[in-house]
Amino acid sequence: MDKKYILLGIHSHVTRMRKVTVILGILATVVLLGCVSEQTKDVREQIKIYGSGASFPAPQIENWIYEFGKINRNVIVEYASKGSGAGINDFKSKLVHFACTDPPVKESEWLELEKIGKPIQFPFIVGAVAVIYNLPVEELKLDGETLAKIFMGEIEYWDDDAIRSLNPNANLPHEKIIVIHRSDSSGTTEVFTTYLSIVSEDFKSKVGAGKLVDWPVDKLGRGFGGKGNEGVSAMFKQTPYSIAYVELAYALHEKFKIVSLKNAEGYFVKPSSETITSAISATSAFVPDPSEGYKEDLRQFLNANGEKSYPIVSFSHVLLWQNYPEKEAKAIKDFWKWVLTDGQKYIIEGYAPLPKEITEIGLKAVEGIRGE
Amino acid sequence: MLRELKNRIFICYLLISAILVIFPLLHILFSVFINGVPVVMKYGIDFLTGTLPAPNKPDGGIFPAIYGTFLMVFIASLIGIPLAVLAGVFVAEYPNNTISKATRSLLLIMMEFPTILVGLFVMAIFVVPTGSFSALAGSFALAIVMLPYVATYTEQAMRSVPRQFKEGAYALGLRKCRVVFSITLKIAKKGVVTGLLIGMAKVAGETAPLIFTAGNAWRSTGSVFEPNGAIPLWIYYLIQQPYANYHEIAWGAAFVLMVFFLAIFLPIRFSMVRS
Repeated sequence: MDKKYILLGIHSHVTRMRKVTVILGILATVVLLGCVSEQTKDVREQIKIYGSGASFPAPQIENWIYEFGKINRNVIVEYASKGSGAGINDFKSKLVHFACTDPPVKESEWLELEKIGKPIQFPFIVGAVAVIYNLPVEELKLDGETLAKIFMGEIEYWDDDAIRSLNPNANLPHEKIIVIHRSDSSGTTEVFTTYLSIVSEDFKSKVGAGKLVDWPVDKLGRGFGGKGNEGVSAMFKQTPYSIAYVELAYALHEKFKIVSLKNAEGYFVKPSSETITSAISATSAFVPDPSEGYKEDLRQFLNANGEKSYPIVSFSHVLLWQNYPEKEAKAIKDFWKWVLTDGQKYIIEGYAPLPKEITEIGLKAVEGIRGE
Repeated sequence: MLRELKNRIFICYLLISAILVIFPLLHILFSVFINGVPVVMKYGIDFLTGTLPAPNKPDGGIFPAIYGTFLMVFIASLIGIPLAVLAGVFVAEYPNNTISKATRSLLLIMMEFPTILVGLFVMAIFVVPTGSFSALAGSFALAIVMLPYVATYTEQAMRSVPRQFKEGAYALGLRKCRVVFSITLKIAKKGVVTGLLIGMAKVAGETAPLIFTAGNAWRSTGSVFEPNGAIPLWIYYLIQQPYANYHEIAWGAAFVLMVFFLAIFLPIRFSMVRS
């Protein structure tokens, strides 16, 4: 009994020491980390600007933040990509300084924002939706009407007359077309279905446009959904004779074959920096004043005129307040002014710089931001 | 003869089941190792001290994420562990009390509760009123996620202590408080510490509770009142991008997370087994 008691005592002493060591170790690590982080800070006062929202422009924003950070060390910009809707919510609760959203803010949401402060919204980057195909054919041309029929399931085989007449020289196989689309609610789907609704009355009445639509081709057993751009890409790669739509950045990065689409003037074009800019230039008059951002209509930018215009393009927008605390206002102005001027030189693959007419609109709005 | 055959078949079946159970675990460890080590080697020490690079630029590192994960797990433990251990002790000591019965079933429900909802809850009651995402909010969410694990393990461990020890202690005239904390909890130590470790390891790898609470940081390390990154958050965001260097960093970050986890978990686990 005595012996055991003594042993127990020693034992508990050892454990206590071990416990103390563990706690000290954890504390030391935290202090150390704290010191390192102190060291990395510049001597001057740093201002942090936070943003959140759409995932589509995230890589481009990261690139801008990286380049901007090189020349402007006392402003740190942080962006979290969690989706347009979440971004608008964060912005509304004033948890972030700016939010990015692919579709422009709806009127009802805009009015709610106006109750809190003065919101401004303008486009800052433009991208495109690419139609990709998995066929041993080098070049595939399609027009809007045919594309809509394929995505509705009305054209069943790749060597259908409609496709053949657009591609007389291509060796099209007699295989069933597999359609792959997004299964999640997505801005990409909204842009793509809006385009199909513009070029095909049939599509408009039977399917319609939206972030999430009921694809009739699914019921025929030839349509499948994938989650996110990466889900669609993965499924598309594994499925021969398939057709799908993804953000251009994905299509280029994965080196997918991209369909040449017939534009409003009858020319076949592939999405590229040049053809996207052409489409945007032709429609820049439709960008509303930043203080009335909700008036923007997606449809006006699709199927644009111009020989070189790619028909399915879309903007990403940024939401800002007109008023911020003094120091933050300056940092926010500096960053967004830089994005709309010098920043347009640092555009990464898959996006296109904005034409001058549109950066002017944004610049004017940024100039109007006031510190209080 | 037939009996022996049956016996053999059953043992084979058990063996195969055991392998099937540990195979996914080994596969995860293996693939994280294979994909993560080359990245960490390539980036060198910068990988632990640098910040996020631009797309397609092969440099940078994950320091803000490591910092955030350490900070938040530490604070979450400070908040969660005392509460959880006390809850566990209460439930174990007063098993027939109505409140403790309710607590026990609530703990089990909490364990299965979708962690994203915990994040939303903390966002509504803490992030929105304070007007900022913060490491503190993230820690609250993690503490809530951690709570049921630690509490349940504590309770199980306390209940597995043989009655004789407690009876002996009471016979010596110790007060209830002394019996619980000096005798029962000490004997149940192994189980309690396992619970703590599982709780901490669990929240170190949590993404969902942080999405709406911690904000994120790619290039800065903030105070507890500012947004901060975390390794699982980084992995989650980075794999959604099409850029190869972001995928690389995600693998590297997964490897770092795994090493931290094993480095904390294994030594303590082994020392437990030995004692």
